[in-house]
Amino acid sequence: MSTRGVRAILAAIAAICLVPAIIVGQDSQQSRRTNNAPPKPSGITPRAADGHPDLTGVWNGFGDNLHGVPNQIANNGVAIESESSAHDLHSGLPIAVFPRNTTRGLNNEQSERAASLLRRVGSNRPIYKPEYWQMVKDLDKNANEEDPSNNCLPAGIPRAGIPSYIGQMPGYFIFIYPGEGGLIATQTMYRMIPINGKHTPLQDLDGTYTGESVARWDGDTLVVDSWGFTGNTWFDQIGGYFHSENMHVIEQFHRDGNTLTWTATVEDPDILLEPWTTTPRVALLNPRPDAILPESLPCSERDLGHIVTKEHH
Amino acid sequence: MTTSSMKETVLRTIIIAAIATTSIYSATAQNNPSARTKILPAAAEALGMVRWADIGNGNTILPGIDVINTMEFEGSGTGIEYHAAVGYNPAAMRVEITRTGPGGPQHSIQTVRDNYAWNESEVGAGLVAGKGTATSAPAALKERLLQLWTLPYGVVKAALAAGDKTNVSTENGATVITFPLSGPLAGTTMKATLDSKNLITKVETSPDNTETQYFDYADHGEVLTDIKSPGHIVQKQGGRTILDIRIKTWEANNPYLVFPVPKSVTAAR
Repeated sequence: MSTRGVRAILAAIAAICLVPAIIVGQDSQQSRRTNNAPPKPSGITPRAADGHPDLTGVWNGFGDNLHGVPNQIANNGVAIESESSAHDLHSGLPIAVFPRNTTRGLNNEQSERAASLLRRVGSNRPIYKPEYWQMVKDLDKNANEEDPSNNCLPAGIPRAGIPSYIGQMPGYFIFIYPGEGGLIATQTMYRMIPINGKHTPLQDLDGTYTGESVARWDGDTLVVDSWGFTGNTWFDQIGGYFHSENMHVIEQFHRDGNTLTWTATVEDPDILLEPWTTTPRVALLNPRPDAILPESLPCSERDLGHIVTKEHH
Repeated sequence: MTTSSMKETVLRTIIIAAIATTSIYSATAQNNPSARTKILPAAAEALGMVRWADIGNGNTILPGIDVINTMEFEGSGTGIEYHAAVGYNPAAMRVEITRTGPGGPQHSIQTVRDNYAWNESEVGAGLVAGKGTATSAPAALKERLLQLWTLPYGVVKAALAAGDKTNVSTENGATVITFPLSGPLAGTTMKATLDSKNLITKVETSPDNTETQYFDYADHGEVLTDIKSPGHIVQKQGGRTILDIRIKTWEANNPYLVFPVPKSVTAAR
């Protein structure tokens, strides 16, 4: 066989071999997203016997890790709409977008430092009384040592965000928040919340991590009103946002098809100049009929003692 | 060829060359979208402003975004202690200056946010009853905003915001970015000079005739961020040095800094 013939056969084989790779590559490109927009609702909103939306379900159906940086950026109020557009949801100001200058992955140090910045760039910040400004700044700077949710303590409310499971019963709700291992080592939390219940007077409550909660319907939105907290939690994932035992939290849950939108408003007149409301967060229903929450690993903080810098994400 | 015709030819050649050179210079100094789209991202990257992270990203591949919002720095010079809290969303700055002199130390807190400028008797004065006094200072608005936008990060942000009004040119071998400011600073032109690493080394503003030089870039934060900040700032107005400070710390990790406008200040407008 001539050299030209061998080359032709090799080229044909190479082309045939490349076809699946090209198809796979196209599939991969199509399934990638270049924005951090919340999931769009689809399907109908099921109703409970009393006519209100049924919130029952496992709410961890998001394709990406709910705790991943793209979603954390969104939680911080920064919407990246495309590879050329982003803006701050709170102020409306545009944020400059740049193409990545490399396709190489970042190393751990680069990723952590970038994540730390990305999670704090949004403008939606609670306004503390001036005498606490330095304290909040210091707590955030020293979060590796100061963050009360490290060392396997519960994250508390509203820091825990959207429960991974909601059970809607005729007279009450059950919320479950699985614990996490790793550096962000928190304990599993649950809440049992009566509908149309009444609060115990605040002075009669011992502060707890989830507080005392009562729920009511405002149209199709579930409103959960909580107080009676321990002061030993922060009220958001970042920022050193401590609170007093007089914190009052109002959460709103709104189901639209297979999505659940959550916001929380924090009132704490002891330390805040004005109430603060989180950026809305959206969870996606796990569509599997057999979806369950597996048992969380026992919380055992092993990394904290080895941290020697103030970097954290 | 006669001597006179040779001279004429040489003169004509020189004139043509001069016109050609001027044309080429003008071309580089004029609006250059290609240079702008390369230089501004390069300047942002040099400062560490452009960031992304893929921790837990799944199938999401986001572009880089400008991660600079709040920062805080402290510096000192001869007879001066300087402490600045900076924010770009909203545009705000609080500068505490302590000057030491024969008459004893003089301390001032000068704050600006959006269209408001005011002086504080203590940090956050006027926000809580009985906690200090906030005095409106509208005449200082432009000067204070200019301090904010003259910082290297402000220059990049403002140049990007100016869009196709931003020009990129070369002067004495250095890249120069020129653009007009807008909003309360409309009428002001900013000119920034970049070094070979695309770091901003000099910012000139007109018509106020101010020149600010930045030296010794590094990550000066206690929480390391890979954001480069200047280690030495020298500012001159009309040729006279008005600020010369060495930086002690520059916290760029979007620290908790807020700039609520006291009601007494909003009411004073």
